[in-house]
Parts: sequence; C-alpha cells; structure tokens
Amino acid sequence: MTDTPAAVTEAPKERRRAPRWRRRLARNPLAIIGITIISLFLAVVAFAPFIAPYLPQTQDLRTTYLPPGTGVSLRGPEGQFGIWVSRSQRSPSRGIEVDDSAAYPVKLFQRGPSYKWLFGLVESDLHLFGVDGPVRYYLLGTDEQGRDVFSRLVHGAWISLFIGLISVGIGLGIGVPVGAISAFMGGWVDMTVQRFVDTLLAFPGILLAIVLVATFGTGLTNLMIAVGIAAIPIYARIIRGSVLSIRNREFVEAARALGRRRMGTLVKHVIPNALAPLIVQSSLQMAIAILFAAGLGFLGLGAKPPQPEWGLMLARGREYLAVAPHVATFPGVAIILVVLGFNLLGDALRDALDPRK
Amino acid sequence: MTQYTIRRLLVALPSLLGVLIIVFLMVRLAPGDPALLLAGEFADAATVERIRERFGLNDSMPVQFQRFITGVVQGDLGRSTRTNRPVTQELIDFFPNTVELAVAAIIFALVIGIGLGIISALRPNSWVDALSMILALIGVSMPTFWFGLLAIRFFAVETPIFPVAGRGTFAHLVLPAITLGLSSTGIIARMTRSALLEVLGQDYVRTARAKGGAPRTVVFKHALRNALVPVLTVGGLEFGSLLAGAVITETVFTWPGVGRMLVTSVLSRDYPAVQGTVLLIAVTFIVVNLLVDLVYGLIDPRIRYD
Repeated sequence: MTDTPAAVTEAPKERRRAPRWRRRLARNPLAIIGITIISLFLAVVAFAPFIAPYLPQTQDLRTTYLPPGTGVSLRGPEGQFGIWVSRSQRSPSRGIEVDDSAAYPVKLFQRGPSYKWLFGLVESDLHLFGVDGPVRYYLLGTDEQGRDVFSRLVHGAWISLFIGLISVGIGLGIGVPVGAISAFMGGWVDMTVQRFVDTLLAFPGILLAIVLVATFGTGLTNLMIAVGIAAIPIYARIIRGSVLSIRNREFVEAARALGRRRMGTLVKHVIPNALAPLIVQSSLQMAIAILFAAGLGFLGLGAKPPQPEWGLMLARGREYLAVAPHVATFPGVAIILVVLGFNLLGDALRDALDPRK
Repeated sequence: MTQYTIRRLLVALPSLLGVLIIVFLMVRLAPGDPALLLAGEFADAATVERIRERFGLNDSMPVQFQRFITGVVQGDLGRSTRTNRPVTQELIDFFPNTVELAVAAIIFALVIGIGLGIISALRPNSWVDALSMILALIGVSMPTFWFGLLAIRFFAVETPIFPVAGRGTFAHLVLPAITLGLSSTGIIARMTRSALLEVLGQDYVRTARAKGGAPRTVVFKHALRNALVPVLTVGGLEFGSLLAGAVITETVFTWPGVGRMLVTSVLSRDYPAVQGTVLLIAVTFIVVNLLVDLVYGLIDPRIRYD
C-alpha cells in the first residue's frame, strides 16, 4: 500500500505527456516513413487538380507514348539552369521528333487549364507547375492517347483512397457490430454468425470480390462495395476474438452488476477495449483494399476507361510494354508506395499498441 | 486426435454448404434472366428454353438448389457458354496447371522466406535484419500484376532469358512462380523471424547453449525445428490463397489455369464456367485449410485440446 501515494502524485505528470503508443510511434522510423507517404498521398488527393498540370482526359494523338524526359533539357538556350521543354511529337514513320529551335522554361505556380475544386466551390487555373510557353511538360511521359501520365496518376489517387476508406468503412460498420454482437450474445446467434463468416472466409483473397463483381456487374461502384464486403469477415473475426477475451473480465461483470444493460455494456465497455486490433487492421485493410481494387482494375473487372484508376492504367500499359514501358511502370510505383505506406503504419501501430511490450 | 479430426470436419461442412449457396445464388441474384445468363447472350430462344427446363428455373428456390447440389455431386456443372464444353472437363484440363504453378510458388516462398527469416532472427535489429524485413514488406505490398509485368519486361523482353508467356518447359514456370509466390515469401519471412526470435528466447534453447552446444546446432536443431511449426502452418494457408491468387498471375503470364479461366469467364459472362471455377477454388481452399489444421494437430498435440 506504500505505492499508492506515489502513484497519485505521479498521475498528473503522466497525463501531460503524449500517450505511450504515440510516443512509441514517433520513435519508430518505419512509422514515420509510413505516415509521410500517407500524408503525401492525402495531399495529392486533396489538391489533385492543382498538383496535376493538365486534365486527366486531355488527349493529343501527336504525342503518344512519349517517354519521360522527351524534349527536356536542364540548361536553357542561354545556359541558364532549370527545366526547359522543347516541342516534341511522334511521327508514324520517323519516331519521336524534337524541335530544338525553341525551348520554354518550366515554372512553379503556372496558369494552365482551368478546373473546379472542392466540389465545384472553387474555380481556378493555377497549377503547381507548368510550362511558360506553348508546349507541354510530361513529367512521367504520355500514354497511348498522348495523355499526361503524371496528371492521370494524380487525378486517379482519390479512387484508391476512396476504395480503401469504403472498404474500411464497410468492415467497421457491418463487420464490427455483427462480430461483436455475435460474440457477446454467444449461443446459437454466435454459431450462426460464425458459420456465415466462415463461408465468406472460404473465398481466399481476391476471389470474394471477383464473385461479387461477377454477380452484380463490373464498374467502380460495385468494385468498391465488393472490396468492402470482402473486409466484413475479417473485422467480424477480429472483434469476436477481442470481445470473447474481454467478455468475462471483472470490469464487464462490474458494469453488469451495476445494472447496465447488455448492449450498453458492449458499446461502453467492451468495444473500446477491443479498439487496438481494429485500428491496426484498418491500416492494413487500406493496403489490402487498394491492392485488390488495382488487381480487379487490372483484370478489367473494376474501373472502366477512361477513368484514371491505377490498376486500369497499368493494364492498358501492359499492351505496349515493349514500346512504352513507362506507362505501366509509374502506376505500379504509385500503388506500391501507397500500399507500403499503409502496411508500414499498420505494422508500427501493432507494435505501438501492443500492451505486452 | 479422432475427436479433433471429427470436430474440425464438422466445422468445415457448413463452409462448404455456404460456398455452394453463394455459387448457386450468383446466377439467381445477378441482374437479368438466369436462363439467359446460363445460356449465354448469343443463345437462341429454344436453347434458353431448354436451359430453363433443364435447370428447372421456374421451380421454387429450394427445389432448384437441390437440383444444383445433385448436379455438383455428380460432377455436372453445366456447359460453358463460351466454349460449349462441359465445365467439369474444362476444370479437369486447367486445374492441374494451377496446382503446378501454386506448388512452384509455395516452394519458392518457403525457401526464400524461411531463409530471409532465419537471417533476420539471427541478427535482430542489425542492418541485415532491417534490410530483409523491408524486402519482406515490399514483397507483401507489391501488386502481383505489376511485378509480373516488370519481370516480363526485364527478363523476357529486354534480356530474353525466360519466355514471355505460356506454359510448357521449366523456364516457363520460373517468372510466374516467383511472381505468384512473392507476397507469400514476405509473409513467411516475417513469420519465421518472429517465431524463431520467440523460440531463441526460450529456456530450453538457453539450456542447450549453456550445455555448450555449437551455435549452429542450437539454432538449426533445437530452435528452428520448433519455430518452423507455425511457419509451415502459415505456408499451408498461403498455399490455399495462392490457388486463388493465381487469378492475376495467370492472366499476366497467360498461364492456362483455372484463374485465367475464371477471369475470361467473368468478362464474357460465361456463368456456368464462373460458377464452376469459383466452386473449385473455394472448395480447394477449404480442403487445404482443413488438411493444414489436421497436420498441425498431428505435429503439435497441444492444439487438439483447446
């Protein structure tokens, strides 16, 4: 009992510091990398039309399959440093032709095609960068229709984010209540629900999403729902395990003894204590959902052209891998970076939230 | 063990039934007339009528389901509307190719994954550990199709060491197997590392060391043997997923397996073939998981009593 006064006096000091899991997260370099990648990704989604120099659908059939760096030099006509762009185009007979007679500088905060932002509330034509002249600067090259790969990647980022968020949302919104109630009630309710969850889990990986898309049709909306439904059994399983381990603990019994109703106890005491694995899973689920969606897009079962969905862009790039490998390369880099970001964060969260450490 | 086996079998049965229900409902829930879906879009009115008659699509759902189950048990999954061959025959033709690919992939994943895991666990928190775990994480995060395309680009197009696509020789197998096994490699490497680290901290390992056992003997004979039990379980489960994961890899490498058959069937709305492939993959997955559990119960008796 001699400990008690010390604990009481120390308590306020503890409170001023950040919670332990946050301190652990801040000390983990992999977590910092993950958080940085995710923050950049979110920024790209939020400011897409500003970051992308061009609109995703603008085609130019004279500039198809230009690799990155075509017509670009790092010295201006008078030897100045910077990025200078000359007009280049692809001629059917002679390949890529660069017109060296004139070069134009790439500048930050350049006016370009006008766009609407924030659901149409803001109209602007200011872009992060652009060419001060009558040519275009294709940072990551162009695709089969002469569209700017970089602009398409940037404009397509929201699709990946949305798919991830919807998947996590469906998992949390349906999987968690179903799993929690099932575990808390026990008995035949639990039996029935678990057999249902087992059935969904019998479809490994991407197969459940394919089954749903095959049943209800392809397209972006169905794809999002399919990837979301595929997350339900995972969440149901996780929350069930947590609830079962917490259900008979003293504080739950105490709540019940105090006359709290079963649902009240579940919402107020059991679920908050099962949050850690759900948070970890949500980060990993973002990664899984983005991979699934890109995979389905790649198979032609997801987004439809001309949507700038990353998996679909990759699939189109596949057809001319020998001529223009960059078209398939960059969407892949984007996917792996974002997926890696969420995986790193998920791993780090698991370590940080683990009470045994 | 018998009791454990029976209990485990009883748990698998409802999943099996559930899979059958879902596959049965796929056609019935899809927008449009199921008879039309099963007959294919180019079928004439007489064929559609024949299909409706044959599958009894005017009957009540339970009667239809019963007929569906009977068909499945007898190996009758209907005819592919695309190739007009019995779906069962197509599956018999393609499934061995998928198994071949998945076996090659899991061998690759086990060898490289366990290797990376051991290297990491022997020098925890060193740069070797960090490097192999980052590699493992990249493997997990890598989109299969993208890795496959890169592999084709570098090792089949630019330096033609391996064939671009198709199946036949061992060389045909290399790139698809690595592509398919990549994410499992990452998972197995991470699993091996954590399992081995845990075992290396156990008392019996310390005892073996204290008794003067050579470091190599302690690690490989005492620690690794025990650490590998959960790793092999994960490997078994991964093998089940690989059969489904083959959907993408087979498409990238035009590998003639059930995964590619599934994608082509979905794209051409060939519902009998979609049903057949989905059923086969899901049932195989259940059976593989069941076997993994049973083997696990066999090598680790503790598991039978929980």
